Amino acid sequence: MKEMIYQTVCPGCNMGCGLYIRENDEGTVAIDFMKSSPANLGKLCRFGMQLPHHYSKATSMVDGVESSIDDAIQAASTKLKGAKDVAMLSVGATTSEEHLAFTKVADALGTVVNTGMGTYAELPPECHATVGHGIPLEDVEQASKIALFIDPYTQYPLIVRRLLAAKRSGASIIAVGPKEIKLADETKHIGPDQYESELGLDSESLIIADVHPHSDPEHVKHLLNLALMTGARIMFMKPFVDSTGVHLLSRGTGQKGLQEIMDGINEGSIKTLVTLDSDPIELMPNGVEDILKKLDNLVVISSRNSPVTRLAQIVIGTEPLYAKAGSFMNVEGQMLKNSGSSSIGIDALSTLAQNLGGKAFDCQGLHTQVLENVVKEYTGPKYKKLSCEMMETAPEEGKGNLINVYNPFMWFDQPDDNDFVMVNMNTVKSLGLRKGGMIALTSNGGTLKIRYAVAEVPDGLMLTNKKLPITTGTCTVVTAEGC
Amino acid sequence: MVAVGDMLVGYATDGGVRKRGASGGLVTAVLAAALEKGLVENVVVMKHINEFEAVPIITDDVEVVLASTGSLHSVPVNLAKYAVGRKVAMPAKPCDAQAVIEQAKRGMIDLDNTYVVGLNCGGSMHPVTTKKMLVEMYDIDPEDVIGEEIEKGKLIFKTKDGNEKGIAIDELEEAGFGRRDSCRYCTIKIPVNADLACGNWGVIGDLAGSATFCQVMNDKGVRLLENAIEAGRIEVQPASEKAIAIREKVNTAMVNLGNTLEGKILTEIPDEARIQYYLDQMANCIDCGACKEVCPVCACGEDSKCTMFHSLVDDYSMSMYHLVRLLHLSDSCIACGQCSDVCPSDIPITILQSRFAIPAQRKREYTPGMNVDETPPFFEVILK
Repeated sequence: MKEMIYQTVCPGCNMGCGLYIRENDEGTVAIDFMKSSPANLGKLCRFGMQLPHHYSKATSMVDGVESSIDDAIQAASTKLKGAKDVAMLSVGATTSEEHLAFTKVADALGTVVNTGMGTYAELPPECHATVGHGIPLEDVEQASKIALFIDPYTQYPLIVRRLLAAKRSGASIIAVGPKEIKLADETKHIGPDQYESELGLDSESLIIADVHPHSDPEHVKHLLNLALMTGARIMFMKPFVDSTGVHLLSRGTGQKGLQEIMDGINEGSIKTLVTLDSDPIELMPNGVEDILKKLDNLVVISSRNSPVTRLAQIVIGTEPLYAKAGSFMNVEGQMLKNSGSSSIGIDALSTLAQNLGGKAFDCQGLHTQVLENVVKEYTGPKYKKLSCEMMETAPEEGKGNLINVYNPFMWFDQPDDNDFVMVNMNTVKSLGLRKGGMIALTSNGGTLKIRYAVAEVPDGLMLTNKKLPITTGTCTVVTAEGC
Repeated sequence: MVAVGDMLVGYATDGGVRKRGASGGLVTAVLAAALEKGLVENVVVMKHINEFEAVPIITDDVEVVLASTGSLHSVPVNLAKYAVGRKVAMPAKPCDAQAVIEQAKRGMIDLDNTYVVGLNCGGSMHPVTTKKMLVEMYDIDPEDVIGEEIEKGKLIFKTKDGNEKGIAIDELEEAGFGRRDSCRYCTIKIPVNADLACGNWGVIGDLAGSATFCQVMNDKGVRLLENAIEAGRIEVQPASEKAIAIREKVNTAMVNLGNTLEGKILTEIPDEARIQYYLDQMANCIDCGACKEVCPVCACGEDSKCTMFHSLVDDYSMSMYHLVRLLHLSDSCIACGQCSDVCPSDIPITILQSRFAIPAQRKREYTPGMNVDETPPFFEVILK
């Protein structure tokens, strides 16, 4: 049996964890550890260990019928020629080169590529570099004090070892959020107006937060203000393999948020949606299928089958991410290259661009442009000091007592054993929950019976690491009873 | 004629292989001949990526075997699982050979179909730590490194400009670099559990640096060597008494050092502090399962005791997964260090396992992976 071995990067988030993918001639995929990878030393999180389940061969389809990729490209060209009210979406779940190719298709259509990160549009452009670039991961280990606004274990697990290394070097870590974080010296359930007084940060401190398609811009502003007031450095973790790369490649193109796109479809101002390795059904709360059905045209370009490929009129199925020629930029600004040499996706986009009146391009040329656009201005991991003024802020959103803790399994709708909610002991007692029993949750989205785990969370609050069928957003108002 | 117990010194007959392969290319040539003459269908080799990275590949191509990398101290991979289900020849550190034998005890590897060419091992290093060490201790740009070796207690790096620099391993380890923890307290340095036990210890005189000392451990070792001689790929000669004595002297020094370091690394924990110690060490586990996946002696597959009694929804102070593994592996852990290497939370799992396994194994005078006929003391099922 022959085996292909690819050096690639885990698509679970923007940490840039290197690994090997072994693919045999029967198409079976296995992971192997790349111990020389600087971001992760070969170590992988729960999601990385489950990667073989994540990859699924994408099938080209036209109107629900399996087709050749060429026929799918032709059908997409026909649909898109002269199409109006087009939105294009690429969140950064593919290579920088493919994303750039996608922007050239957008040029041909007279539109732009949205990354779904609506938060950027709400922030002053002068702070985009700080939000977008992050800091060298090794610097996390050098910080004297760290304020954590993420759940590192669940959301970005490979940051855990960096935080532990910082602790060993004497750093104090304060977590801010609804859940007790074991590695933190203290976990505080505080609001933005208490950040400055309660956290005691200074210029030797580091704030670690995240920015993702559902981030509340007001929350990000509060944290940026905190960094400005205290002189602390701030680092934003990100959810997709090339989140940093697509941010740098897409500057100035609008950065329409996912919700804004969905609202546009709902209101009829967007009639055609073209996606590149970005599945709104996976990325959004429940109920998006009904919105997507309102589209005149849904064209999906994807390296794997996912819920949206079942809904699309046209699917252009490309090669798996690990097999693509191309590069990614991780959260600290390291450019990481795939060893794969396939250009099926880029060639498809080139043909599509030409059919729409654009110019042809190839993988090597795109890589050169990526280097010019990204690396030329960004010469490696280095913190971009905040250069904006203090921002006016409003109260943060997020009214609800069931909170989704976003993580790779949730972004990619992958099976996981996170099928429970976390509640505190007071909730257990007040609802009369039995050990090993279930809790019944009811929201506008329906009722769900689910297992529960006891955790240190504030009274009345429930957390879930899984997108549950009854959730309607990042926070959902639910009523609970024992069952 | 070659016989079990022979102590030989040999090298590849092909000048290129002899020059490129470590210590005269004997191991590479033996593996190539095993494939060429049909002794095996595949060979496990390390494909060279760079001086700090190689990836195991399974090949049926003699040229790929001949082009494979020599031993790299900074590529700490255990190769046993790559042999599962195959008729294969493979190079093996002592812990690779131990894992092969443990897999054989569990019915996953057929030793009749698996030829193990053992390599002496003084220990391996993590690649990223090694690069950092080069910068901080050697003042060498990792990109300039073209080779490395361990000689007389020193770790020596050769650079593109033809220079080399060596620093005592003791000094490196005191500075927090050097070998992985589990390698430091390992006491199996010559792979006498393999079919052939090869290495450069005891290669002296004109042959120093260009030949391999080879001890024939069993009938399969005889077949491997005779096969390679018949194929014209190697030449061997008896090792001198002096060479044999030097090899043993190096081994004794390494084993003694391992024993000393075991006491320093696996320090005594008072009874009253023991539970808290394990709770603290495992507090940051993220339940990735990588330690089980990478364990070269584990043959349980997805359906196993450690996962059966573990669930994310449980709120036990210590995970059942780890508790079951500590007990389950206590008679079988070979302290290869793979679990610590891949732990995303940097939990020193190998050390935790060793704290359970070493006393348990010593009490029963049992060392895993040394003899396929020795049943692990806690084996529940004997595979016939």
